[in-house]
Amino acid sequence: MYKFTFLLFLLIHSTSLYAQEYYVYVTAESDDEVSIIKFDGEKALEFKKIPVGVWPAENEGPHGITVDPNGKFWYLSLAHGNPYGTLYKYSTETNKVVGKTKLGLFPASMQISEITGLLYCVNFNLHGDMKPSSVSVVDPESMIEIKKITTGSMPHGSRLSANGLFHYSVAMMSDELFEIDAVSLKVNRILKLGNNNSSMEDKMHHSQIDHSMMNHANVKPTWVIPHPTNNKIYIAANGSNEIIEVDADSWSILNRFSTGNGPYNVEITPNGKLLVVTYKSDGTTAIWDIESKKELKVIKNTRKVSHGVAISSDSKFAFISVEGIGGEPGTVDVIDLKSFTKVSSVNIGKQAGGIAFWKISN
Amino acid sequence: MKLIKLIILILITTFSFDLYSQETKRIVSNIQGLVLDVDDNFISSSIIMDENDNELACNNIIYYSRNREALQVNNETGEITATLPGFHEVVVICIQEGGKRLRSNFTVNVNYPPVNEIKISLNNDILYTESYIPLSYEVIDEKGFVRTDVKFDLSSSNNLISIDNLNNVKALKAGKVTLNASFEGISSSIILEIEKNPITYIELKSNTDEARTGDVFNFKAIAYDKKGDLISNAPFDFSFTGKSYDKSNTASGLMQDDGRFVGDVAGQYKVTSSVGNISASKIVNVIDRNIKRKFKNIGTGTVNDKHTSDFWVFEGVDGRDYAVSGTWGADGTSYFWDVTDPSNISKIDSIQVDARTVNDVKVSEDGKICVISREGASNRKNGMIIIDVSNPYDVKIISEYTKNLTGGVHNVFIYENHVYALSNGEKYYVINIEDPYNPIEIGKFELGKPGQSIHDVWIEDGIAYSSNWRDGVYLVDVGNGIAGGSPSNPVAFANYDYASGAHHATFPFKSKSTGKFYTVLGDEIFPNGIDVAGQNVTAGFLHFVDFSDLDNPVEVARYELPGDGSHNYWIEDDVLYVAMYTGGIRVVDISGDLLGDLYKQGREIGYILPGNKDGYIPNSTMSWGAQLYKGHVFYSDWNSGIGSGKLEPIKPENSKANIN
Repeated sequence: MYKFTFLLFLLIHSTSLYAQEYYVYVTAESDDEVSIIKFDGEKALEFKKIPVGVWPAENEGPHGITVDPNGKFWYLSLAHGNPYGTLYKYSTETNKVVGKTKLGLFPASMQISEITGLLYCVNFNLHGDMKPSSVSVVDPESMIEIKKITTGSMPHGSRLSANGLFHYSVAMMSDELFEIDAVSLKVNRILKLGNNNSSMEDKMHHSQIDHSMMNHANVKPTWVIPHPTNNKIYIAANGSNEIIEVDADSWSILNRFSTGNGPYNVEITPNGKLLVVTYKSDGTTAIWDIESKKELKVIKNTRKVSHGVAISSDSKFAFISVEGIGGEPGTVDVIDLKSFTKVSSVNIGKQAGGIAFWKISN
Repeated sequence: MKLIKLIILILITTFSFDLYSQETKRIVSNIQGLVLDVDDNFISSSIIMDENDNELACNNIIYYSRNREALQVNNETGEITATLPGFHEVVVICIQEGGKRLRSNFTVNVNYPPVNEIKISLNNDILYTESYIPLSYEVIDEKGFVRTDVKFDLSSSNNLISIDNLNNVKALKAGKVTLNASFEGISSSIILEIEKNPITYIELKSNTDEARTGDVFNFKAIAYDKKGDLISNAPFDFSFTGKSYDKSNTASGLMQDDGRFVGDVAGQYKVTSSVGNISASKIVNVIDRNIKRKFKNIGTGTVNDKHTSDFWVFEGVDGRDYAVSGTWGADGTSYFWDVTDPSNISKIDSIQVDARTVNDVKVSEDGKICVISREGASNRKNGMIIIDVSNPYDVKIISEYTKNLTGGVHNVFIYENHVYALSNGEKYYVINIEDPYNPIEIGKFELGKPGQSIHDVWIEDGIAYSSNWRDGVYLVDVGNGIAGGSPSNPVAFANYDYASGAHHATFPFKSKSTGKFYTVLGDEIFPNGIDVAGQNVTAGFLHFVDFSDLDNPVEVARYELPGDGSHNYWIEDDVLYVAMYTGGIRVVDISGDLLGDLYKQGREIGYILPGNKDGYIPNSTMSWGAQLYKGHVFYSDWNSGIGSGKLEPIKPENSKANIN
């Protein structure tokens, strides 16, 4: 009888033992398209191409993309508008628009908190004048922007803590790390990331910042990712070619790791072991071991401008969006996180950018 | 039996998690049923109740307003400030342990402030019996809001006037009457002095008895009393009826209060002028405009591997004729063409820059410098590229300029050694290119209001015409002197906007035939969004705004092609050359006074549809822009490249050969 029970368990629970398919959403910023990439463990292919935007004669620039924690919806930031960008909500079932709302200038990276259910999206605003920009907070259910929280100059990368209670973003042109309380929707703490004042702990309110100093960014942080299981935060310092490790408890910089040229996006495997970093200027992707703080491997990407990283929920594969230059198509490279090799590539529209892991399907 | 139980247990444990997530708790808030007055503050308090009405704590509550302009809500404390009257929703989200969320929507009724004043005014002081009285009303509440939803009551002190169900007031008898308007206890009144209509005869004249469709008749009415004396300032009403010569067509036209009339369709029209029950009519004939000419496609410069964007035709330093065209959503290529023989357009050079879209291209007046815009650069610096086109067969990049232009440059214009370059669709910068190797930013123009946006800028006679979407056109002195402006100090001096907010391009137009000055404002509208690989639906039209009085611009006419939307255009010698996207290149007679719907009036001279079988998207017209150059109509088409067309000369009227 126990044998039968065991078999029944296997029957019900073991379909995952069979071949799995990984699905990733990725934007093509200069073609106003989003592609769904399907990867069967060996080969990636463009499963579906979804035209986005409104104006045929304008390039609206789909930039940031994220999938709802429940997997039912995906969200896309269109960078350009008149002049504000727009957040679109799509059904993962139909890939049709189900809602939209206007955000700030050049909305970029975003994520939904599993705790608050709210979506937090940075407004990159890379348009000329260096001035404080903001994080837009949106209720995805009503698609209403609840609040704009003022942060630093050109905030680009942003991610939520694993518990969903804190939002981290880095301001590229003011060299700052911001922590926002995801419930009170207020800036909790700001950390200066510059080399000259790296140890400075800064808990002052943002309104006290001397923004006249903002033009002297040398770190140019472009991405931030909190560790999924401890209180460390990792930042891609695009201007100083470093990964900066921050201790969220003491709100101080613990380490600066030298990297290749132009670290741009950084993600951590869900099991917390590996850090995957795109080196945008080198056209490569690096894999770091977090515990030993060592760069394990640098993998050449298919094209010259490496951009975003999405990691499968089973920590087995990294999906890298690679922009290309000019008329080159964008590409998604798939990296096996066991063998540290690029196992497949697939071309999509031009300037592959924002990338988000959707699901594993059996 | 045990086995069956076990199986059932396994199935339940596997599939039944959802059963446990059914929510029995609810948010109870003092916002429920809340009624506030404008400017009131309210402190929210919300708790969680379980199914037994036991109060539970919720440490993390987020409040927000679904309409922040009308109702301000502190996300953390829930403090509410009422700003605008009406019904508004507050959303309360309670975040429980483990991320489970409860949410409720509460409606807040913000009372309309009591009406404070009803203003009644007369649009014309002269009131004659048997006439409708031209009145205006304004209802203002205690907070200064103008109420448009109020159905106030009108009453009269006597029977000298009648009031219908729509509050129209008609003078019946001569004498003094008080008209009273009231609402919620507030009332206002106006004394009307009605005279017996002294007019016994109206003489109605027109400047002509017959005109073509689209030509404007000027009617003049003169009123006389029974003694035959002239009555000045008589409050004439003008109206018309008509009958089309074509029995299956409907006569239509436009009548203005000042007596101007235009017929759209050939037919007989009766124009009537009246004051009270005295009227006079005059019949005029409207004949076909009959201006159609053969418009032939002469040559094409096909681009069949990418979308084409804007273009510019220019005379090179060698006296030959050239064109440059950009590309859209592609590889940053611009093409250079020899168009000296418009029937034999040949590609002679190209330049590729780090961009995906070169949306706009312009060439300096001397034919030496070309500027192209960049969007989608891989380093996201975008900006613009300055090119030496002294030898269009061998063009060379002189410099790249990106300062303050990283958000992308959508349009540029070159005027007297300065480039006017749009930045991120928000503003434009003025960049001196006297030394094209070292461009220097010397000025900028922006509206300075939140959400400012701009799509295009065009300069003529030292005036920059910026097209600012919902903010309309701004006329900016950048060297004309009319407002003391200069390239380094642009000064806005006039503006006109319109309701749709789709204002995308402007072309200034001084009418040769009338001397009037217009700005022609183009919409850009895509009702159904995009299809980059197929046919698109386009909408919008050209608005003709009479700017002869800079302080009082008046929109007088439109060119609207049914089913096709407007894009870029050119005007020369009272002829409009317009790219109507899916409607191709249209040539339109805009001579004479302009009034009403120019398309209906048969002012279109001819058209071509540039879509061709060799295009990037075959046989799909999507015309981008048009330019008249040395007698030929050059154009660019999103799906097929560039080309040229030629209007054939007007042929004798008895010829049938010139019908398209």
